[in-house]
Amino acid sequence: MARSQASPHAARFYVVLIVLFMVGPFVPLLVQSFAFQWDWPNLLPSEWWFTARDRARLPLGWDYVLSPYSRLGEAVLNTVLIGSATTLICLAICLPAARVLAREDFAGKRAFEFYLSMPLIVPEAAVGLALSVMFVRVGLAGSYAGIIIAHLIPTIPYMVRMLTAVYQGLDRGFEEQARVLGASRSQALRLVTIPMLLPGILAGCLFTFLVSTNLFLLTFLLGQGKIITLPTLLFAKISGGSLDASAAGIALVATLPGIVLLLISERYLNGLNQLTGR
Amino acid sequence: MPSPIWRRRPTLQRQQVLGLLPLGVVMIVLFGGALALALLQSLGFAPWLGINSFPDVSYFIALWGGASFWWSLWFTLYYSLAATVIALVLAILLALGLTRAFPGRAVFGSLYKLPLVVPYAVGIALAVIMMGNGGVLSRLAFALGWIDDPAQFPLLLTTNAGWGVIAVYVWKQLPFMALAIHAVLISAGREQAEAAAVLGANRRQIFREITWPQIVPGIVSSTLICFAFNMGAFEAPFILGGGFPDTLPVMAWRYFNDADYTLQLQGMAVVVSIGLVAGMMIAVYLATYRRYERSLGRV
Repeated sequence: MARSQASPHAARFYVVLIVLFMVGPFVPLLVQSFAFQWDWPNLLPSEWWFTARDRARLPLGWDYVLSPYSRLGEAVLNTVLIGSATTLICLAICLPAARVLAREDFAGKRAFEFYLSMPLIVPEAAVGLALSVMFVRVGLAGSYAGIIIAHLIPTIPYMVRMLTAVYQGLDRGFEEQARVLGASRSQALRLVTIPMLLPGILAGCLFTFLVSTNLFLLTFLLGQGKIITLPTLLFAKISGGSLDASAAGIALVATLPGIVLLLISERYLNGLNQLTGR
Repeated sequence: MPSPIWRRRPTLQRQQVLGLLPLGVVMIVLFGGALALALLQSLGFAPWLGINSFPDVSYFIALWGGASFWWSLWFTLYYSLAATVIALVLAILLALGLTRAFPGRAVFGSLYKLPLVVPYAVGIALAVIMMGNGGVLSRLAFALGWIDDPAQFPLLLTTNAGWGVIAVYVWKQLPFMALAIHAVLISAGREQAEAAAVLGANRRQIFREITWPQIVPGIVSSTLICFAFNMGAFEAPFILGGGFPDTLPVMAWRYFNDADYTLQLQGMAVVVSIGLVAGMMIAVYLATYRRYERSLGRV
């Protein structure tokens, strides 16, 4: 067997290298967020933010990040609000459809499924710019409703896919048995189907929330600067191509929701694998 | 009472149609509407701007007639394709590596997914701090005695070679591809590969004849998604790109933000062009993939 695969040592070396590439750059980001003076070519700052904070007339580093001036609280709130609303609406419209797609066969089903996955392959800039024209006409531009509606487009393909897979894994015999035993339609749904679907539904919601909180372009184009989220706030901070201590702090805060969701999914949901579950 | 329309299609009952309806309406009005609007406007239909010369291909002719469009297209394609190919190769190796048992695999197997769950802007911030001329790589190069001035460090960001843009795409999309490939490898198991090894196949043969056909569908779907995303991505080329020529999405955005609002139609022509190019490349890719599947006898 030793000849059939790379040795565990080589595999481990490579995996560690990739993880270093993925996670390593967060170390200097963390250092930068605490730095006050960090000149080239020092590998560590010569002065830290906490020793300089008493001398400064304006809030520095984390003081600025956590102050109202940075608008971080507003961005976090908007991100969570938009993500939650998008997730709930997406679930509400995808769940009934996924049930039909998983169980029935009908004329045009393949074409419909292909159409549902098209947002994944149509460039986001095309959808975003066209939607911004559309939403200006109907008065949705720069509003929460407009952003939430727009966020449905990139989240629907994932949600439908994951929920359809969930329904396919559910034997409809359970539901029928409950009905035979005298449960009403709503009882069968509430007491049998929903509890069995719940883990899959939660995974779908988690991923939808994640996609929504990471979306930049649609929020940027449709928020028109009035509504900021973590990605658009961070974009505004670094669009000049440089990164000061407060920008590093905001970047770290923008990483937090993802870390929390990753921990949840690794712990309880078989680690995002449903994402590719087909 | 079911209406006659539903009775003519016996395969779907009224209740099932109702189940599909909300999703169908949202997708057709919102997504279909956006696509239709982009197409109409790029062909001269914008009465709300006081312009209506539909059908009018002059915006495409003006766009495709200029050299700057083709340069932008080249850079858009180059960043998208280079990043997709590099990420794919690294992701295949990562997925294969993760099938081997070694100490700490569970932790590393979770850590590599971090980029998947954070916004692109975070990746851009990391690229700035690592790859800039005053960045960490440049400082490490000094520590190793390779350079003694930041100006000697090769320009990686804001250059048309696009190292920064490509690095961000690879960083963000490698986990996505590795996840898709790894999931297939796990569910397929190792029986076939082991049987082949027992029968005397070497590593190369096992990969080509067994592993590769198993992971190809996952590769195709994840590379499609990443490539299409890269074609339409805005923030990484905007911040880390060379500036001129811009990638097509940045070019479209500049037209839209111009004080001269009639340039919006030109911008829509850019957007539709992105869709056309991406669509054609995806169609060719899928056709090639179908032929491959047919050669395996799987379709």
